Parts: sequence; structure tokens; C-alpha cells
Amino acid sequence: MLKNLTHIHRPSTIEEACALLAAPDCKNIALAGGTYLAESPDTTIQGLVDLTGLELSYIRETGEGYAIGAMTPVQDIFKSKLLKGATGHLLKSAAGRIGSTLLRHSITAGGNLVSVFPWSDLPPALLALDAEVQIRKGIPKRTIPVQTLLEKNPRDFLDKAELVTEIHVPAYGATTGTSFTKFAKTANDYSLVTVAVRITVLQGLIRDVRIALSGCTKQPVRRQEAEAFLKGQTPTPERLANAAARAAQNLELTNDFRASKEYRSEILPVLIRRGIEDALRQIAA
Amino acid sequence: MKLHLTVNGKARTLEIAPNALLLDVLRAAGYKGVKKGCGEGSCGACAVLINGRPRNSCLVFAAQCEGADILTVEGMGTPENPHPLQEAFVKHGATQCGYCNPGSLIAAKALLDRIPAPTAEDVKEALDGNLCRCTGYVKRIEAVLDAASLGKK
Repeated sequence: MLKNLTHIHRPSTIEEACALLAAPDCKNIALAGGTYLAESPDTTIQGLVDLTGLELSYIRETGEGYAIGAMTPVQDIFKSKLLKGATGHLLKSAAGRIGSTLLRHSITAGGNLVSVFPWSDLPPALLALDAEVQIRKGIPKRTIPVQTLLEKNPRDFLDKAELVTEIHVPAYGATTGTSFTKFAKTANDYSLVTVAVRITVLQGLIRDVRIALSGCTKQPVRRQEAEAFLKGQTPTPERLANAAARAAQNLELTNDFRASKEYRSEILPVLIRRGIEDALRQIAA
Repeated sequence: MKLHLTVNGKARTLEIAPNALLLDVLRAAGYKGVKKGCGEGSCGACAVLINGRPRNSCLVFAAQCEGADILTVEGMGTPENPHPLQEAFVKHGATQCGYCNPGSLIAAKALLDRIPAPTAEDVKEALDGNLCRCTGYVKRIEAVLDAASLGKK
């Protein structure tokens, strides 16, 4: 419970919201779906800035792909008829594995990304898709790769007065396949290992590939060394297995009551290999 | 602070603390059909419809619901005039201790509002956030499918 919460602000514009977040005399925090803050024991938070009135709940087609408003419930991504192709497949697969139906109606795309937890499902998919976020600080705005946002904790990366307002996700053609794997003890439990893959094959050669992991590390991570190992090569079973083994190396794996780091290190290369294979099958499909 | 919202079709103005959760506010206002189970979004006993969306009221600040339209199980039916889903839950034995029923019924209603003729897979997915330790997970699926097949909502 937020014991020292005294104010709820309901701004109707982004400028207003950013000004409230910037308030020097009151610790105001942005409130999206609320699933995390409702349980938070933080006693320093004095005000919540409810983003509901900003009209940031939408999924739109753009010239390059899709724009997803930060306040879009992830259930709307999961059930979207607009999101199609390799991008749609990966986004919908990831969104559909978040929590339960009841939680997916509360959890928002922006909230799942910015308050990133080790088990958050959307961030690895956004990493694999080379997505970008639009950040507003009142009127000024900047657009940065999700990868940059996730290099450290997004809350530390963002200025106090900044707000993630939109996620930009490129669309990929028929030569690209994607795959999302969440390995958990039950359908609703937190992920032990999550693997998101995007792969493009042209004339038998891997033109581009992304491998992103979460669940097993503190922050979602891309495996660039394994990606480079695959790029320009033919996707033979041996090479895929080798790449998966490389992608599973040099990681500080989580060791907790759900699974030991030894267990995670056993299943990780298997799940990565299967993820790449599945993404390749999606091209054919 | 004051909260203005509609609960089960009736406009209400409630006095709330800024940090109050919707679950506690609804129960204090007399809607005891909304159950507190886990308090952390796992069990679904507290599910209510907020502007048509089924959500865990234990993880929503009441203040987020200014102007919202809320439906609790009390708004679905009465003992004299039960909702078809409630009838079907009784008929199929999808109720035992009953603690999960308010949340399960709300989640099932949200499904039928969206998909009047769902498949068994649709029902499983729609109820994936509602734990029921007494009856298992078969009878309530039969109940929802039966209620839907009768063309009732």
C-alpha cells in the first residue's frame, strides 16, 4: 500500500502530465494500469498521475509498421486484428502470455515496458522487433530504441518529467519469421526463461536475426554475439544449435525459488534453439 | 476525496482515501459479492467489470475509476431472478464453496458479451485468471458453454 499517498492527479494532456511529474515539492509517479503500484510498499510516493485521460490507448498502422499507445491494455494487443505478419505474430504471442485475462485488461504496453520486471513478457518481443519508444517531456519529444531504454532500468534512464507515450514497431515482410517462448511452471506463473526470436532468410541465407531473452536475467537482453554468428550463414541444424549454445553463455542467470541457475542454464540453449527453429518455420507458414 | 462512479447501473458518490483499492471501497460500500482472495491478482475472486473490461479490483486504485461504469456480481442477477450464467453454474455443479463464483461469473459474462457463442478454448482462456479449487476446471466450462448455447447472456 502507498501509505503516504495524498494526491491523485488526472491530467488531460501530456504537457500537464509531464509538468506534474516534474513537480519539485511532491513525489509524483505516473500511474498506468496500476497492477504494480497497487501492491507497492513505497512510502515516498506522494502523488499519482493517472494517465487514463491522455487518450494513449490505441493501435495504429503507420508507414513503417505500427504505433501502439503506451496506455493500450496488453489484452488489446493480444486480440488485435490490425497487427499482422511476423510483427503481429510476435507481439500477440508475447501479450497473450502476460498474466491472466483479468491482468491483461489492466496491464498496459507502456507499463509493462517501463516498470520492466525480470519476467515481463513484452520487452523481449520489442527488443527482437527493433522497436522504438517515443518519449515526451511536455512538448519536446525524442525517439529512442527500446534497446537503449532497457540498457539500464528505464526509470533511471527517463528524466523525472519524461513519459513514454508511444511504441513504434516496424513491420517485416514475408521472408521474416518470429517466435515467442515463455517457459513457466504454470500458464499464469512468472517466466523462468523467455525467448523472443526474429529471423529473416533470403535465398537460403540468414539476412538478419534477433535473439532476446528475459525471465532468466535481471533485465531483458539481446544476444548479439550469437546473432552475428548466424548472420549471412545458412541455417543448418548444427549452426542453429551452436548459435543457441553461444546465446546461452556469459549470462548472469537468476537463481531463485522458482528455478536454480543450473536448471535455467540447462533449458536455456534448448529453448533458444527451438525458438530459432520455430521462427524459421513461421517463414514457410 | 470524492469518487463518482456507477455501480450496477446506479450512480454513486463515495468518500475514498487516495490510496484505497477498488476492492476495499466496493466492499465497504456494501458490494460484498466482490471477494478478497489473494490480494495480488492471482485468484480472480475480486473480478469486476470496469467499463466492460474484467479486471482484478484488488489491483486497481479506486481513484482510477472516476466516472467509470462498474458491474459486480450483485448486478448480474438475484436469488429470485438469477442470470443465465448463474443458473448454469448451479445446474452443472460449477459451484461448491462459492468463493470464486462472483469473479468467475464476471469473467464469463465479459466473454459472452464479446463472443456470444464461444468455443471451449475461448472459455478456458477467459477464465484463466479465476482459480476454483473446489470444482476443478471442467464443470464451469460446461456451464458457460451451456449458458451460451441457450442464446442467453
